[in-house]
Amino acid sequence: MKINILGGATTKFGELWSISPRTLANEAMDGALKQSKIKSSQIDALFVGNMLAGILGNQANTASLFAEELGVQIPAFRLEGACASGGLALHNAINSLKAGAYKTVMVLGVEKMTDHNSDDVTTALMSAGSDEERTSGATFPGLYALMARAYMQEYGITEEILASVSVKNHFHGSFNPKAQFKSIITVGDVMRSGKIADPLKLLDCSPISDGAAAVVITSDSVLARRLPKPILITASEVATDTLSLYDRKSFTTLSAVVTASQKAYENAGIKPQDIDAAEIHDCFSIAEAMAVEDLGFSKKGQGAKDISENKYTLGKGKIISNPSGGLKACGHPVGATGIKQIIEITEQLRGVAGKRQVKNAKIGLTHNVGGTGTVAAVHILEA
Amino acid sequence: MKITPVKLWRRQKKVSSQIGKKGKIIAWTIIRIPSKEFTSQAPYPVIIASLESKEKMILQLVDWKMEDLKIGREIMTVLRRLFTEDGGDGIIHYVIKGKPL
Repeated sequence: MKINILGGATTKFGELWSISPRTLANEAMDGALKQSKIKSSQIDALFVGNMLAGILGNQANTASLFAEELGVQIPAFRLEGACASGGLALHNAINSLKAGAYKTVMVLGVEKMTDHNSDDVTTALMSAGSDEERTSGATFPGLYALMARAYMQEYGITEEILASVSVKNHFHGSFNPKAQFKSIITVGDVMRSGKIADPLKLLDCSPISDGAAAVVITSDSVLARRLPKPILITASEVATDTLSLYDRKSFTTLSAVVTASQKAYENAGIKPQDIDAAEIHDCFSIAEAMAVEDLGFSKKGQGAKDISENKYTLGKGKIISNPSGGLKACGHPVGATGIKQIIEITEQLRGVAGKRQVKNAKIGLTHNVGGTGTVAAVHILEA
Repeated sequence: MKITPVKLWRRQKKVSSQIGKKGKIIAWTIIRIPSKEFTSQAPYPVIIASLESKEKMILQLVDWKMEDLKIGREIMTVLRRLFTEDGGDGIIHYVIKGKPL
């Protein structure tokens, strides 16, 4: 069975104080329907990726809420896996098609974060950690800072080399009209930014964002044949790891990412080096440095250096990482991120990404991570 | 982070066995933008320690100086108040923290 992407749409990401979650979701779903050239009545089920609506907005039951917004009474499900909620929603949507339960489904990722102050958001995000991590006073930037410390020690990496991840992603984000930040930054800007959790500074960290993204996928070959350039999802894998970071054998590799990506490459029948464009979960600079290694693009310990040497930069590298600007520059409305990544790669493979187009992109990958690598969703898309 | 008295009571059962353990720092950070309940304590270090008992723990470090923040620094686990305020239930929350040796 072939899983086709019909179309998708992303709202602008950012501090969208005048826009409600309902309106955000509506804009993304409406855009996805128009892109797919279908009506809402043709959608068999809705899968929603969302993490924080219940905690921050006191709004649970979001799947039914957004089905109502879509204007249909269909089966609707909310998937939660911290910042990988979008990827998990897509994975489950794909499985529902493979099982034959539905033919055409909508996957929506949505998050509204900037209505709340940063203390409340930091506390809410820590619900993805463990009890031990919470009572230690750790935060998510803090947990990734512990990984950064271990990585820097193990591989002799400096803060300046790590900073180059954000520099690259802001450069890419400058070409993305939907990005939260379109400003180009330097290593010096990152180094001078305020410390959040040593050695991570403000510009090593992805922002708090609002946004939504929606995609329509189908197993209906007749619907898919109407598309000028069908995009296939050739692999969808999810893996998990321990909830806590501290009890793992290594702090410099995320085994869930290694497992999910290896299975995905095997299922798609490709090798890491076949990837042309990858949307990578750069919640922090250290996360992308480790990800390019765990995904098999760079040798272990070489990821941050390779990024600093422009090996993943648009117009310079072979595999382009985060052409959208990534979480750092495009923004990180947590439930929406995994779906935004899919839409970015779809646009890249269709050749409609404008100034941020990766030349001759044929195969793309998305890497969506929840917690400290507690869960990872990896998807491979092919033109 | 609401900790109910029942959850606290359940957790206390294993706390006594975790006091007085020695180990070394294997990763550290300083939290400068904390969760809401820790605001009055920031900045403060959080470490991962590898203990002589072969366990690993994530701990807030107390009674620290900047020179203590290095990989390999010896620490000991101690019992300390979790927050400076009680949790609103009139119960003072105690947890295991780390202290440089």
